[in-house]
Amino acid sequence: MIDWRLIDLDNSTPLTEALFYILLAVRTPNHGYGIIQNVSEMTDGRVTLGPGTLYGAINSMLTKGWISLYSEDKESRKKKEYLITNIGKEVFQNEVKRLNELIKNAKKIDD
Amino acid sequence: MLKFKLYYDKDAEEDWLKKMCLNGWAFKKFFLGFYTFEQCEPGEYNYQIDLLDNWNGYKDDYAAFMEDAGVEVVGQWWRWVYLQKKATDGPFEMYTDVDSKISQYSKIRNFFKVALILEVICFFMELMATVNTGSYIFGIFTVLLAVISLAMLKIIWKCNWKIEQYKHEKET
Repeated sequence: MIDWRLIDLDNSTPLTEALFYILLAVRTPNHGYGIIQNVSEMTDGRVTLGPGTLYGAINSMLTKGWISLYSEDKESRKKKEYLITNIGKEVFQNEVKRLNELIKNAKKIDD
Repeated sequence: MLKFKLYYDKDAEEDWLKKMCLNGWAFKKFFLGFYTFEQCEPGEYNYQIDLLDNWNGYKDDYAAFMEDAGVEVVGQWWRWVYLQKKATDGPFEMYTDVDSKISQYSKIRNFFKVALILEVICFFMELMATVNTGSYIFGIFTVLLAVISLAMLKIIWKCNWKIEQYKHEKET
């Protein structure tokens, strides 16, 4: 049996900066505008996600199962919240592992 | 105020809407080439034009999402949507990274590819009619369809060029 999910994980790294920071921003339930602000704060305004970029990224990650719909406030405003899934966490950890390796090797230049 | 214009290049259309707003005219509605404007503070809004994935269904989801992100959907024409954001709320760019820019221009290119195929089919039908009947009315339509087809070819070419530029940017 081929584990298609693992193959998907292999293809998923390296993550784009947008995907990386969106995954970080939904470690607790977060909605569209919250994600944009959160990412902007984490990067001191360096990464500002355009609403179109965010919308596309969220829909593609929902399809891949990296994030899931956490809640939908139907009464006041239609504000959807998203939360990272276990697959999403795995993808993220894989990326962190890759980045750590890069940093570890990058330090060789100082030696 | 009502203005008539035909745009097939959304970048040029965005620039025009921004310029109109700088002159104190805010875009309100689009219908068949007719743009409705209302007076506003000069430079009050910024505009972006986006292409939806399909005609219906997720449109409400899209509009609600944009509203949450501080962006208002002002108008819609088939799959094309007009978005505005107050200039005081910060800069407005729908697509901010290379990957999403590439996918947006790919989407626009595919849209015009389908449109071009339809136009070319119509062109040949009109051309046949012109040859068979010798009627100048069919002739006029043939020329018109040829012009539209060329305009679409131009926009497809422009999308391809932009995609190549962004891919190059990504590699370096």
